[in-house]
Amino acid sequence: MASTTAEEQPFTLAVPDADLELLRTKLASVRFPDELEGAAWDYGAPLADIQRLVTHWKNSFDWRKAEAAINTLPMFTHDIEVDGFGTLNIHYVHQKSAVKNAVPLLFVHGWPGHFLEVRKLLPLLTAGPADQPSFHVVALSLPGFGFSEAPKKPGFKGRHYAEVFNKLMLSLGYEEYVYQGGDWGCALGAHAVTHYAHTHIKAWHTNTPFYRRPKFLSNPLLFLGLLTLPFNEPALAGLQRSQEFMKKGMGYYMEQATQPQTLGYSLADSPVGLLAWIYEKLVSWSDDYPWTDDEVIEWISIYWFSRAGPAAAGRIYYEITNRNTNDLFEGTKRTTVPFGVAYFPGEIAQTPKSWSKMLGKVVFESTHDKGGHFSAFEQPEKLASDLHKMFGKGGPAHGVVPGRNGYD
Amino acid sequence: MSTSPEQPFRIFVPDAELELLRLKLASTCFPDELEEAGWEYGAPLANVRRLVARWRDWFDWRKAEEAINADLLQFTKDVEVERFGVLNVHYVHRRSVRENAVPLLFVHGWPGNFLEVRKVLPLLTASERDQPCFHVVALSLPGFGFSEAPGRKGFAHKQYAELANRLMVSLGYEAYVVQGGDWGHYIAGSLATYYAHTNVKAWLSNYPTALPPQVSTTPWKWLKNLLKPYTREERERLEAMREFQTKGTGYFHEQATKPQTLGYSLADSPVGLLAWIYEKLVSWTDGYPWQDDEVLEWVSIYWFSRAGPAASIRVYHQMTSGFEGPPAAGVRWMSIPLGFAAFPEEHNRVPRRWLRTLGKVVFESEHSRGGHFAAHECPNELVGDVRRMFGKGGPAFGVVPGKDGYAS
Repeated sequence: MASTTAEEQPFTLAVPDADLELLRTKLASVRFPDELEGAAWDYGAPLADIQRLVTHWKNSFDWRKAEAAINTLPMFTHDIEVDGFGTLNIHYVHQKSAVKNAVPLLFVHGWPGHFLEVRKLLPLLTAGPADQPSFHVVALSLPGFGFSEAPKKPGFKGRHYAEVFNKLMLSLGYEEYVYQGGDWGCALGAHAVTHYAHTHIKAWHTNTPFYRRPKFLSNPLLFLGLLTLPFNEPALAGLQRSQEFMKKGMGYYMEQATQPQTLGYSLADSPVGLLAWIYEKLVSWSDDYPWTDDEVIEWISIYWFSRAGPAAAGRIYYEITNRNTNDLFEGTKRTTVPFGVAYFPGEIAQTPKSWSKMLGKVVFESTHDKGGHFSAFEQPEKLASDLHKMFGKGGPAHGVVPGRNGYD
Repeated sequence: MSTSPEQPFRIFVPDAELELLRLKLASTCFPDELEEAGWEYGAPLANVRRLVARWRDWFDWRKAEEAINADLLQFTKDVEVERFGVLNVHYVHRRSVRENAVPLLFVHGWPGNFLEVRKVLPLLTASERDQPCFHVVALSLPGFGFSEAPGRKGFAHKQYAELANRLMVSLGYEAYVVQGGDWGHYIAGSLATYYAHTNVKAWLSNYPTALPPQVSTTPWKWLKNLLKPYTREERERLEAMREFQTKGTGYFHEQATKPQTLGYSLADSPVGLLAWIYEKLVSWTDGYPWQDDEVLEWVSIYWFSRAGPAASIRVYHQMTSGFEGPPAAGVRWMSIPLGFAAFPEEHNRVPRRWLRTLGKVVFESEHSRGGHFAAHECPNELVGDVRRMFGKGGPAFGVVPGKDGYAS
């Protein structure tokens, strides 16, 4: 506890008027590109969608109203010292349950996600039905995202993120806790359990399970399983979808992993540029989620008004992959704490289900018929129900946190 | 009618566009940057800040515009392309005083532009006693500079070739040679593919890149490629290529898969466009001492382009069928003379034997300095190569009947 002696500070979001004014100026002078006939989504976010969203942002979207609603969430900041990086001021939501023995749960978002992805889950996890386990939920803004400070130096790796997570939870009195994350939340979860499994992290869950191809020497059975892959239709279809994604959907990844600064000038200067960059993923990575314009603009606004600016978030790709020379899991090892996975049909990278075993000791699995990459936002009931089943009475991870089994 | 008469053209950017640029530059939002990032994360903040300040307060576009119009006599012409209707094409056209100069088409790439011909033009058209001279046409590719962009999908190898060939023929050049780098290399190769012998008599590329010999098309070359070891220099180049593919192709991935998404940023944000292009101008050249005004003029051609900056990047998508295959796949081996001007800092440099899959290689040079933008960085060296290939005693001397480039 020695390195986190500062008290947690309540946090109120209050974007300065000057920032709103600058945004207004920029929105008023947007210069749009043209578009090829019949382009639809083949070339990226369609012009008609983006124009409509910009008009909405200019004329209808009420940031102050959205801000006020966000401020009803219990938000805080806390100085966390990170080895080699000094102090980072970390922003987070911390919602305690009325159930004293609720299970402490850390929720970790990804890119282009943010802390508000926890919003719909909060009531379901902290104040669900009495026969279901309850959770004390902590949902941070990753360093460089939302309202957390960004690291100032190069080299912020998986173990540093893990350090932030763990110190934050410890500072809140949660010596032992469970972890839930998707997208970077999944990859960083692998890093977190590598360092803190058993000692602090007692179980973890991901709604975006993906991993690297099995190698013969490390996972011979799974490797041999590749031979039967052509005969396993659902797995094959999933893998083909992943390969299609790897071919056609990785432009953002490649640029963010290699030249995030170059890209950052656009994202920091152009609201429409930022909007298109993120909106394209919100739609193509979700499962027909009926995004409202307000939902989209609020989402983008978290990036636009973020503490470190929109250019900082993409750096995670560069740092974790070491400028695209290794994958997201470099430096992680498989641990034996209970691990749960949720498969959603709209997920972008669908590796065969058997590969989840390489990530961790799978004790819980669910397969859904609806939902995509942002399942906490798209299908909160389904995701909450998974966590209830995994950690509830009779569940495979029930009671993993001593003295905090989710029931009073 | 497949072309219209030639119309003289002078660049004149409307005042309103200059005003909008001023407004945007004045409200530029900059990102932060990691400590001591250098060029590791992309274009450095200090450089970009300096360039934006100069662009905002000092750079005189009207003066640059006037100088371009004075230096380069430009024209436009309507050119019909099958299935695409009529495209208005912008080009530079300068004839040598020597009647039987060799007609030469100069083709730029991305992020290049027609101004790349500026330094080589006087050298190529000059009637020096013992050197061949050339009539030069340098077009703005459709979607670049002041040429119209195609409005429909599918404008690729065949269409670029058709448009360029129609342009040359309409100017009275039934037979001609081609010089190009970057996309100009692939378009020159496409011109050879469709119009070799009938119109295109030879081509010289300063982008020595090609696919390895394929067993299906050139089995003998494929076998030889397998059996013969590479030289140390070739192995180093292959390693450099691998490094470039890993760390330097983010832009390619995005532009080949989601050009529309990226296009919103490039169309709306001057600093975004500047950084995107400037990063390549520096990293792809060999210590070329870019002047700030040089950079700003170059980027301005994109900012003020007729079709807007977003249109130019679609070439990546169209020429790779949305990243389905390599651009070289659209180029067929033809027996007209092919030459390569090789510069040490060019990326994607392949073993020499691979170049032979693109055509009948009769000329190869190897320079000790220079990079990707050879015509701009090393005009004398590039012109030297053109003269050696097409001059008396050269391997492509007299390829254009009746126009060998010398005084009769």
